[in-house]
Amino acid sequence: MEIDPVTTGNADTVMTETAATITPSPAVPSCRLNQLTESLKLEHQLLRVPFEHYKKTIRANHRSFEKEVSSVVSGIGDLANSDCSKEVAVSRLTSLVSRLQGLKRKLEEGSNVENLQAQRCRARIDHLDSADVENMTEWNNTKLKRILVDYMLRMSYFETASMLSESSNIVDLVDIDIFREAKKVIDALKNREVASALIWCADNKSRLKKSKSKFEFQLRLQEFIELVRADTPGSYKQAIVYARKHLAPWGATHMNELQHVLATLAFKSTTECPKYKVLFELRQWDVLVNQFKQEFCKLYGMTMEPLLNIYLQAGLSALKTPYGFEEGCTKEDPLSQESFRKLASPLPFSKQHHSKLVCYISRELMDTENPPQVLPNGYVYSTKALKEMAEKNGGKITCPRTGFVCNDTELVKAYIS
Amino acid sequence: MELKSVKDAFDRVATKQKLSYSKTHEIFHMLSQEIEKALSILQESPPSETLLDHRSILSDVKKMFTEIAPISQLEAAEKELQVALNKYPKVLEKQLNPDISKAYRNNAEFDTHIVNQIIANFFYRQGMFEIGDCFVAETGESECSTRQCFMEMYQILEAMKRRDLGPALNWAVSNSDKLKQARSDLEMKLHSLHFLEIAQGKNSKEAINYARKHIATFADSCLPEIQKLMCSLLWNRKLDKSPYSEFLSPALWNNAVKELTRQYCNLLGESSESPLSITVTAGTQALPVLLKYMNVMANKKLDWQTIEQLPVDAKLSEEYQFHSVFVCPVSKEQSSDENPPMMMSCGHVLCKQTINKMSKNGSKSSFKCPYCPTDVDISRCRQLHF
Repeated sequence: MEIDPVTTGNADTVMTETAATITPSPAVPSCRLNQLTESLKLEHQLLRVPFEHYKKTIRANHRSFEKEVSSVVSGIGDLANSDCSKEVAVSRLTSLVSRLQGLKRKLEEGSNVENLQAQRCRARIDHLDSADVENMTEWNNTKLKRILVDYMLRMSYFETASMLSESSNIVDLVDIDIFREAKKVIDALKNREVASALIWCADNKSRLKKSKSKFEFQLRLQEFIELVRADTPGSYKQAIVYARKHLAPWGATHMNELQHVLATLAFKSTTECPKYKVLFELRQWDVLVNQFKQEFCKLYGMTMEPLLNIYLQAGLSALKTPYGFEEGCTKEDPLSQESFRKLASPLPFSKQHHSKLVCYISRELMDTENPPQVLPNGYVYSTKALKEMAEKNGGKITCPRTGFVCNDTELVKAYIS
Repeated sequence: MELKSVKDAFDRVATKQKLSYSKTHEIFHMLSQEIEKALSILQESPPSETLLDHRSILSDVKKMFTEIAPISQLEAAEKELQVALNKYPKVLEKQLNPDISKAYRNNAEFDTHIVNQIIANFFYRQGMFEIGDCFVAETGESECSTRQCFMEMYQILEAMKRRDLGPALNWAVSNSDKLKQARSDLEMKLHSLHFLEIAQGKNSKEAINYARKHIATFADSCLPEIQKLMCSLLWNRKLDKSPYSEFLSPALWNNAVKELTRQYCNLLGESSESPLSITVTAGTQALPVLLKYMNVMANKKLDWQTIEQLPVDAKLSEEYQFHSVFVCPVSKEQSSDENPPMMMSCGHVLCKQTINKMSKNGSKSSFKCPYCPTDVDISRCRQLHF
């Protein structure tokens, strides 16, 4: 009976002690914590892209197994219905068994690939999970590198992209393999070949259909135009046959475009009619490349623009002040750099609802802790910086911008609300 | 954001995928077992068996296959996986922001050439020379003018890591005037580190000579530090137990490295932290605010493509406040050269235009301060420079 109150007493002190050590720490970074959570919400692409890849693999594997199994089943059915000899039956069955064996192997391999991709999805969730107020600098550094790799991949700078991601240990956090798939198609389109783009369309048929994409139609139109451009005796006939086969099915939904392009038959590639001259321009292939990039990004849940551009725009706008463009602007401001100024010039200026004053001398914020003091000449500096200066110079204050000298007793506090 | 619900949703996908895999495996196994069974019966039966017999075995297998119905079993296994696969993206869209380009200006295309130059400069600035070179070669950009300078900076820093202050001191001494102009005490910092190194080598006499030669000249600005340094010599055998144990702290070296980087970059006309990394981090802070605004204002047709000032405060952290911005508490407008901040006799600060308004363009010689009971005399209002 006597021990009880002692133990509870102990427990209480322990409780209050831990409470005392814990409560003050989150109070400081609560706004930082909020900032962190908000910034993690920007990482949709990071989680979405590997998942779309994973899903695609699962679906493709499943489809191929379904096909194989149904062909095994129908193989047995055919065999049972035929009048084959016993020897033939045995050999057919044996080949079916080895086919199933092969399928098992394929299943194993497929599942290995799926597991690797699942691991990648998980690594990214874990990466988000690892973000903490304490390691923000490091996390932001990694984020910048991820953003740079994304930019390089979209610009097809594969070598630097792999080098950077390997040296920074972020291979699992970037999508090099996915972009390599896109590169094949882009390279082919740049060589004016549509074959690999068409294969890509066929691979992603259902999803493209869902998003009502007309990319395949545009590829077909281009092929048709190339036939018209060839301008040989046989090519017109070929073009018409091609149109019947590949373009006609799109008539129901895209009649206007179909008519427009088919009329190229009436013009030659040398036509001066502006509406048709455009169609024959080689620039159309670049349009296709851009179209493909957009379809590709949409399919994987990526932003259309490189992440770098999105973040730079937001950051430049948030940092853009009229002061950044002034002569003698502090070098710490990115907008003091010519290149950043150029990027920022078409963007809006930032907006601040409340005054925020930075001491010219110490570069520290002037707030209630370190209030602004006014010299008789109207120049304002922080209390701390002026106090330090006065202590060193026996109470004399020299305005660093005008050379004006006064006594520290002449300072007046300014109230900024 | 609930990262846990994202994790849970993904765990569901992974479990269903494993389930679907084992089901598929099982089906393959059953099918091959059936065929193998039929095969062994066929092979064991004597050759005299009639045609009818092996046909009946085959139709048995066919019947079994119809019973197993492998296709519909596969479909059933896939179906559950499909549900999980369709759900995960929805969870992602709910918990994260599915389109961060909503606040993007399409008409402000960046010049690729400038962006590439900025990136190359970033790599050199961070000391990633190999990657920088690779990037420059791959993009076909012209050689970065800052490469050589940063190379030199990293050689100095590398030497400092090996506790070799030679190159750092060389640089600091040859840029002594510029450092003084920038009010940096880097030179003194480096000299004191060197002094401590010598003193640690148990050679007090040499240390004193060094101090006389190199440190005494800083008496004007750093007298207290010099006193401390010299005093520390008294404990040179056991500095760790002396009042000067701080002199052993690696923080001194880190500070010197930081200060050197900062001053080196500043003399190059660059910021001490990479401008690219500042801008992207600022973007990370600003984007959530901008996106929230876009969501709320989706219906009010604000022309994002043409506005000249952001409609919201992006609320960047303090370290990105590079300039003093004064916002008049009455008119809520930012001060400018035409509309400068003015302090009233009571110490409260307003914008010139606001003061003009309150005094009816000077027709009233005094008015009441909006923040305190003082009667403000217009002639005593004066312009401030932040």
